[in-house]
Amino acid sequence: MAIPGGDFSQFDISKEEKDKLVAEVIRYILFKTHQNSGCPIKREELSQLVTKNYRHRSLPAYIINQAKEKLSSIFGYELRELQRSRPSSTNQTRLSQQSGVDAKSYVIISQLPAEVYKKYVEDVNTSHMTGFTFVVISIVQLAGGKIASDNLWHHLKRMGLHETNENHPVLGNVKQALEMLVQQRYLQKDKVSGPEGATLFYELAERALEGTVSERIKQYITQIVKKDSTTEDIS
Amino acid sequence: MAVLSWKHHTLIQTLLERGPLLEKDFHSIFTAITGQNPGTHQGKFNDYLLKINRELSYLQLDLRACRDPYDGRVYYGVVNNVSDEQSKLGTKYSVPQIAFFKAIVEAIAQDVTAVGCICNMDALNIKLENQVLNNSGSQSQDGSLGIPAAFRNFTMSQKEKTIDQLVIDKWLCYTEDDNIGVGVRSVLDLRSWFHNAGVPSCEVCNEAGLKARSCPNEGCTVRIHQYCLKTKFSQKGVIVCPSCDTQWQYQPPKAEPLELEDEETEVMQSQPSSQPLQSQVQSSLRSRRKRERVGRNDDADTVGCDTRRVTRQSAHLR
Repeated sequence: MAIPGGDFSQFDISKEEKDKLVAEVIRYILFKTHQNSGCPIKREELSQLVTKNYRHRSLPAYIINQAKEKLSSIFGYELRELQRSRPSSTNQTRLSQQSGVDAKSYVIISQLPAEVYKKYVEDVNTSHMTGFTFVVISIVQLAGGKIASDNLWHHLKRMGLHETNENHPVLGNVKQALEMLVQQRYLQKDKVSGPEGATLFYELAERALEGTVSERIKQYITQIVKKDSTTEDIS
Repeated sequence: MAVLSWKHHTLIQTLLERGPLLEKDFHSIFTAITGQNPGTHQGKFNDYLLKINRELSYLQLDLRACRDPYDGRVYYGVVNNVSDEQSKLGTKYSVPQIAFFKAIVEAIAQDVTAVGCICNMDALNIKLENQVLNNSGSQSQDGSLGIPAAFRNFTMSQKEKTIDQLVIDKWLCYTEDDNIGVGVRSVLDLRSWFHNAGVPSCEVCNEAGLKARSCPNEGCTVRIHQYCLKTKFSQKGVIVCPSCDTQWQYQPPKAEPLELEDEETEVMQSQPSSQPLQSQVQSSLRSRRKRERVGRNDDADTVGCDTRRVTRQSAHLR
């Protein structure tokens, strides 16, 4: 099939057309990421850019791969693919009926080493969201990957973050900030019907389950916990 | 086949993440990453930028520099050159907000006195309905039918919030006397728009003369930026219009409250070179002027609402 990196002659389009398509896809990714503040972009949206004008079936995959390469070589961004691996229970029945749904989505992640990123690239005006993200994901992870909404808010309250607070000095509307995490696919919401009616659960979603992210979070949690336990020993 | 290294990537990513950066901040990042100061190793700096732009041009993007019209400071940013379907997505602003922004920029651009800003009240009084009528070109039979509800219902407080957000994002800025001026992003991004809208360009640097001195000769349309005047005429001390030879007053006693003070003469020390900085980095940068040493330490935090335009030795006074 498609020979990686080179042979697009099978697609019957010129190099210029191919380049143009790749550029369009990259631009789409960059602008869309800005517009939706880092929420994953569905693969379908990218494919559509290609299939809008060209019919060849495996062309979208080829173009997306090329875009991935270019994003890395020009910007140092990785186009990371997220897979919707764990459908929430409410979606179970629907998904089983849809066969062959391309549930892949993409985010761009900087490939720079962490120290470099932190020192030069990171926008200090958005680091509060990063901090919030880390805290929430850690809580959910420590709870086993899934936590009841009430329980989560209980923990957040201990840090001064209340569900009803719309004017937090740093986060603004705290509930909305949490919603943002759902949209960015760090968390997913789940309604579980129990004896007392439906309870809302938050579960880790693709972005938080992704290998490197998951690992690092565990590391950081360990660091924090270790620090605390040593101080306890001393006292 | 990596043309760009992680150092190039860092420079690009920092501009993308943090928005337009002051020259000194951009330079200090460059120095920190490459170990070489752009001031002393200009060739290397230009080399880097050229390389970056070669790659970016594939995507119709550009890394370029521009001057803040109000204080003459240089900023670097990554700019989009083509308005296509994809770039139209690249905004979090709603349609009425964008129309409002456009109206403000138009008002500033079309100001014949080249003051470069409009007062807050005027901005808030802009009626979006006029924008729609202007755009459609023809009058609809019933004026209100052609205007989307969102435009009609754009309240005063929404306008205020929009202005605040635009200032934070650097599309607009607050000038010293609480007026609204164009922000650095607009200067970077809307360059071609200003040219097309007929804003006279500065004779010296050929950038849009939004806030500039006009030739006192009524018939002459020459405009020159305040900071460009200094570079061109600093040694001579007398300003003569390049086109009509009228003498310009060095300290014009204009009635407007936005005027220069005597501090001008103190500022001369910070500009050793005699040539203007071109905004297209791709074209060869000639000798660069030293930036004024701005008092505060901006290293960590360049982003954010820069509403404090205190005149220290800032080159650009009103």
